[in-house]
Amino acid sequence: MNEQNLESPDDAALVDATTHYEISCFLSNEAALLDAGHYSSWMSLLTEDIRYRMPISVTVARGDAGAEALGGMAHFDEDYYSLDKRVARLQGDHAWAEDPRSRTRRFITNQRGFVGSTEDEYIAYSYLLVFRSRLDVRPPEWVSAQRRDVLRKVGTSLRLARRDITIDEAVLRTQNLAIFL
Amino acid sequence: MDIHQVREQVEMGKIPAGVYSDPGLHQLERDRLFSTSWQFLAHESEIPNAGDYVVRRILDDSFIVVRDEDCEIRVLLNMCRHRGMQVCRAEAGNASHFRCPYHAWTYKNTGKLVGLPFHTEAYGGESGFKKSQTSLASPPRTGITRGMIFACLDPTAPSLDESLGGFDFYLDLYMNHSEEGMEVRGPQRWLIQSNWKIGAENFSGDSYHTPHTHVSVVEIGLFMEPKANRRKEGALYWAGAGGGTTYKLPTDDFDKNMAHIGYPEEMVARIHDRWSADQKKMVGEAGFMVSAATIFPNLSFVHNWPRVHEGAHVVPFISIRLWQPISATETEVLSWFVVDQNAPQWYKDDSYKAYLMCFGSSGMFEQDDVENWTSITSVSKGRFSSQIELDSTMGMGDVNGTLQEPLAGWPGPGEAHVGYGEYNQRALLRRWAQALSGPTAPNGKDGWRAPLNGDMARTTS
Repeated sequence: MNEQNLESPDDAALVDATTHYEISCFLSNEAALLDAGHYSSWMSLLTEDIRYRMPISVTVARGDAGAEALGGMAHFDEDYYSLDKRVARLQGDHAWAEDPRSRTRRFITNQRGFVGSTEDEYIAYSYLLVFRSRLDVRPPEWVSAQRRDVLRKVGTSLRLARRDITIDEAVLRTQNLAIFL
Repeated sequence: MDIHQVREQVEMGKIPAGVYSDPGLHQLERDRLFSTSWQFLAHESEIPNAGDYVVRRILDDSFIVVRDEDCEIRVLLNMCRHRGMQVCRAEAGNASHFRCPYHAWTYKNTGKLVGLPFHTEAYGGESGFKKSQTSLASPPRTGITRGMIFACLDPTAPSLDESLGGFDFYLDLYMNHSEEGMEVRGPQRWLIQSNWKIGAENFSGDSYHTPHTHVSVVEIGLFMEPKANRRKEGALYWAGAGGGTTYKLPTDDFDKNMAHIGYPEEMVARIHDRWSADQKKMVGEAGFMVSAATIFPNLSFVHNWPRVHEGAHVVPFISIRLWQPISATETEVLSWFVVDQNAPQWYKDDSYKAYLMCFGSSGMFEQDDVENWTSITSVSKGRFSSQIELDSTMGMGDVNGTLQEPLAGWPGPGEAHVGYGEYNQRALLRRWAQALSGPTAPNGKDGWRAPLNGDMARTTS
């Protein structure tokens, strides 16, 4: 992935206040669906050409290649098929990794919305902090990340067409990614 | 826990649960196992060009694995000879030199010290401090096989090839698909609250867990077989330093079986030139293809073949993973995707996708495995539970023999059994108990640690 894609485009215009509000509602609504485990509803927010990526974070010296190091490996590199399979699994009776379910709370802040490359698309940046608690006494896990989303207007509502997640840890401290970020 | 008593229990296939969390046993692992065994560090394809490096650990020892300006691969202790600062704090990159941030001692990527500020004023020059004879330390032994770079902290250990023994026959099936060799992506790295041995045991021979632990992955239609209980038709093998599981393939023809699991013709043609007659016989005539495996103590492999597009044929993937202990109850997992560097791009893309869907930090198999392993680790800490003997006797008819005779005419080295059994888990834990209980160390003292300042020679090519 080109790391520059994750920086805000200097020459791109901010969206207007109404669109910003619409984007903000979309992201909060999506977080609520994921926290509640309403995966089918979450899938209905995705376009069928979705790309959903989370490259590994590699510690590199300043000026050295970042995301391209270590072969461009990712934690997630998904399309509609693989996300649909992951969701189908979580909705079955035998996904032990999430049974009992983790208690999650997704905190989404620092939102910025930009006009996209086509008229019906917006680029939305947000910060994400996920609190994840499993079972009883074990300490909770935190996941901190930035998201760069491409949101597409389909009819009157927004859909997620692309998500690039920048994870803030080289070594994840959550035991698996049985949750979506 | 008393290791000698544990060893007796392990020999009988009775595993006191505390082996998965006891800090005393973990200290013995550090002193007697990880300081004497060959440890995987990196694959050559991670550092293709002069100056490329990655930083990897053997427990708490940090090593720079670097290709020097002559393209020779070096393994250098990441610790300045002056005050012990890490000379490299990145995980990967390209550098001709490593300069210590503390006092600017500077080392070439061969490890040789070439820069020492105020050498004359501070030390009286070469007669005061032999700069020209100083290098970053190197582990006493390094070895490379099939592009995989290993190191060993014990100067008296057998060579890498000798240590692998008969397992190298099976290693080819994962890591030798063309003359040019494999390439890797990654590793993904994540921490799990699990003892490192549980993953190593699981990959070595636990075909018995697949039908239940991984039933969800079968239910969503990722595989050709409608039920995961086909697993019992596979063979379990152990040879030399490791063992693994296999799947039974539908025909007795090598090419047909390779096509069945999704290898395209051009890759099979290259593999034909790399695998011996017996290796091809294992996959063809005998009809067994490797799946999960472990090289003792903590290096595992996995090979499987799911669907990555709706309605499409399956595509194989291969992964290497290292169970790097942090403590008795915590493990860092490093997981690489592996593919023949000559494979067509569409195959590399699909195989990578197959890997991500199944294994690694987000993999649907791995998610459920880790849930089990963290639970075992956590519950084994109890004063009562730690003493309970877990049953690892599957396949033993009684203590004197095995229920199942080894498979006759198995084409590979070592012994193989068809069906479920814990032969390999017992073999792995037996080696573990032997390593921990003695003979203690070359000098006979407890707590012995291998010296670090050995020679820099590569022991194998």
